[in-house]
Amino acid sequence: MKVVPSRSSEWVRPVTSQKPASAIIEIDRVSQVFQTSARKDHLALSNISLTIEEGAFVSILGPSGCGKSTLLYIVGGFVNPTSGAAKMKGQAITGPGPDRGPVFQEFALFPWKTVLGNVMYGPRQQGVRVAEAEAQSRALIEMVGLKGYESFYPKELSGGMKQRVALARTLAYHPEVLLMDEPFGALDAHTRTRLQNDLLNIWERDRKTVLFVTHSVDEAVFLSDKVVMMSKSPGRIREVIDIDLPRPRRRNELLLDPRYQKYVVDIERMFDEVDETGSVS
Amino acid sequence: MTSPSALARRAAPMFACIGLLAVWQVASLALKNDSFPTAIEAIRAIPDILGDKESLINILASLRRMAIGFGIAVLVSIPLGLLMGRSRAVAAFFNPLLMVIYPVPKAALMPIIMLWLGVGDITKTLVIFLGVSLPVIYHSFEGAKAVEEKMLWSGAAMGLSPLQRLVRIVLPAALPEILTGCRTGLVLALITMITSEMIARQSGAGNILFNALDMGQYDTVYAMIIIVGAMGICLDAVFERVRARLVRWSEPQFDMPLSFS
Ligand SMILES: Nc1ncnc2c1ncn2[C@@H]1O[C@H](COP(=O)(O)OP(=O)(O)OP(=O)(O)O)[C@@H](O)[C@H]1O
Ligand SMILES: [Mg+2]
Repeated sequence: MKVVPSRSSEWVRPVTSQKPASAIIEIDRVSQVFQTSARKDHLALSNISLTIEEGAFVSILGPSGCGKSTLLYIVGGFVNPTSGAAKMKGQAITGPGPDRGPVFQEFALFPWKTVLGNVMYGPRQQGVRVAEAEAQSRALIEMVGLKGYESFYPKELSGGMKQRVALARTLAYHPEVLLMDEPFGALDAHTRTRLQNDLLNIWERDRKTVLFVTHSVDEAVFLSDKVVMMSKSPGRIREVIDIDLPRPRRRNELLLDPRYQKYVVDIERMFDEVDETGSVS
Repeated sequence: MTSPSALARRAAPMFACIGLLAVWQVASLALKNDSFPTAIEAIRAIPDILGDKESLINILASLRRMAIGFGIAVLVSIPLGLLMGRSRAVAAFFNPLLMVIYPVPKAALMPIIMLWLGVGDITKTLVIFLGVSLPVIYHSFEGAKAVEEKMLWSGAAMGLSPLQRLVRIVLPAALPEILTGCRTGLVLALITMITSEMIARQSGAGNILFNALDMGQYDTVYAMIIIVGAMGICLDAVFERVRARLVRWSEPQFDMPLSFS
C-alpha cells in the first residue's frame, strides 16, 4: 500500500470482466446529465469509474456541486445514470434495496413516528417480529447515545440527535453497504467529533462497506481507507488516495501522527487546486 | 392547561355566543317586528322541534345523508388526491376535469341531477358528495406533492413497494394537510345538505326550516337556524379534537385554536 497519494490513472480504470474478487460496488463509466430550467444540459458527472472493495471505508471528497450526492444516489438506485452502470456484487443496480442503506444529508426521518418507531421501521418491514425488532432497536438507540429519548418525536429532537436517529434507523435493517451523505455536515464541532468516533467504533466492529460523502478533509482522512477526490464542472474523479494508517484509530493518537498530518496537508492542497482549476479535460 | 389565560381562551367562544344572543335580543325588542322574534322566543321553540317525532326523523335523515355523502367523498377523494400528488400522469388526467367542476356551485347542478335521479336521498347525497370531494382532493393533492422525496427513498431502501409507500409514507406524511381539507369538507357537507333540502323539498332539516317560513312560524325558523348552527359547531369541534390527536406529532400550525374544542 502506498503512503504517497497515487495517480488517478492507476485507480480509475474501466471495470473489466476480471474484477477483483472482493469488489462489492463497481461504478462503470457513469455519466449524469441534468436538464436545467434554462433548457440546457448540465453534465453533473462525467465518466466516473470506481471500484469499492467489501468492508472498505471510502470517502468522496470534493467542492460543492461536483456531484457527490448524485453519485451516491446512483449507487443507492434512487437515480438512474444517463449512461454507464453501477453494480452491486456483480448485479446491475436497477433500484433501491435493503442491501444499500442511505443516511441522507436531510435526515428524512418519519415525523409521525417516535424515535423507536423510526428505528423499528426497517426491521418490521423486513418481517422481524415486534418484540425482537424492538429489543434490537432499543439497543441501537442506546448505542447512538439516545437512551431515554425512545418516545420522542423527530420535531422534539436537535439536529445532532436527528442525525443519530437517522444512522440508527439505517443500521437497524443491516444493509451491507452504508451510503452516507455528509451525515455530520450540519453539526457543531464537538458533536461531530463524537459521532465520528462512534461511527468508527461501529464500523471497526461490523466492518460494513461505507461510502461516505463529506467536504471535510480531516474527517475523510480520519475515517477512511480510501479517499476519492472529485473536481467539478463536470464532476470527475481527480485522484484516489489510499489512507494507510493503522486501525483501530484513536483520535488523540492520530492527530499527533505525522503520517496523518501529511495526508491532511497533501489532500487540502489538492482540494485547493481542484477548487481553483476545476476539471482538467 | 388551566392557567387563567388558557381558561379565558377556552371560554372566549362561549362569551362570543352569549354576546351574539344578547345583541339579537336587544335588536329584536327594539325593532318590534313580527318576522324577527327575540332570541329567547327562538330558544324556547327548540325543545318543541326536538320533541316532535316527525321533526326528529327529518333531522336524523339529514344527518344520515350528510354522513354518507361525507364518508364516501373522503374515501374516494383522499386516494385520488394522493395519487394525483405523486403521479404526473394521474394529475394530468384529472386536473382539467376538476378545474371545470371546481368553480361550479354544486347546488346549481341539482336540477340536472334531480331530472336523472329524482328528488330522493340519492340526489341529495350526491350533491353533498360533490361539495365535500373537491377540497379534500385539493388538500390531499397538495399534501402528497409536498412529501419529502428523501423520505420516500428511505422507505424504498427498506423494501417498501410503491403502493406501500403511498399508504405508509405519503398518507401519514400528508395527513395534517388532508385533515385540513376534511375539516373544510365537513362544513361544506352541512352547507350542501341544507341547500339540497331547500331545493328538493321533501324531508330534512332544510325542509322544516322552509315550511315554517312558508307558514309564518318565525320562531321555528330561527330555532332551526340555531339547531343547524349548533350542529355545525359541534361537528367541527369533535372533528378538531380528533384531528389534533391524529397529528400531535406535526408542528403546530396555529397558536390560536380555531374551534370550540
Ligand atoms: N435534480 C436535479 N436537477 C438538475 N440539476 C441537478 C439535480 N440534482 C443535482 N443537480 C446538479 O448536479 C450537480 C451536482 O449536484 P450534487 O447535489 O450531486 O452536488 P454535491 O457534490 O453533492 O454538492 P454539495 O456538496 O453541495 O452537497 C450540481 O451542479 C447540481 O446543480
Ligand atoms: Mg450533496
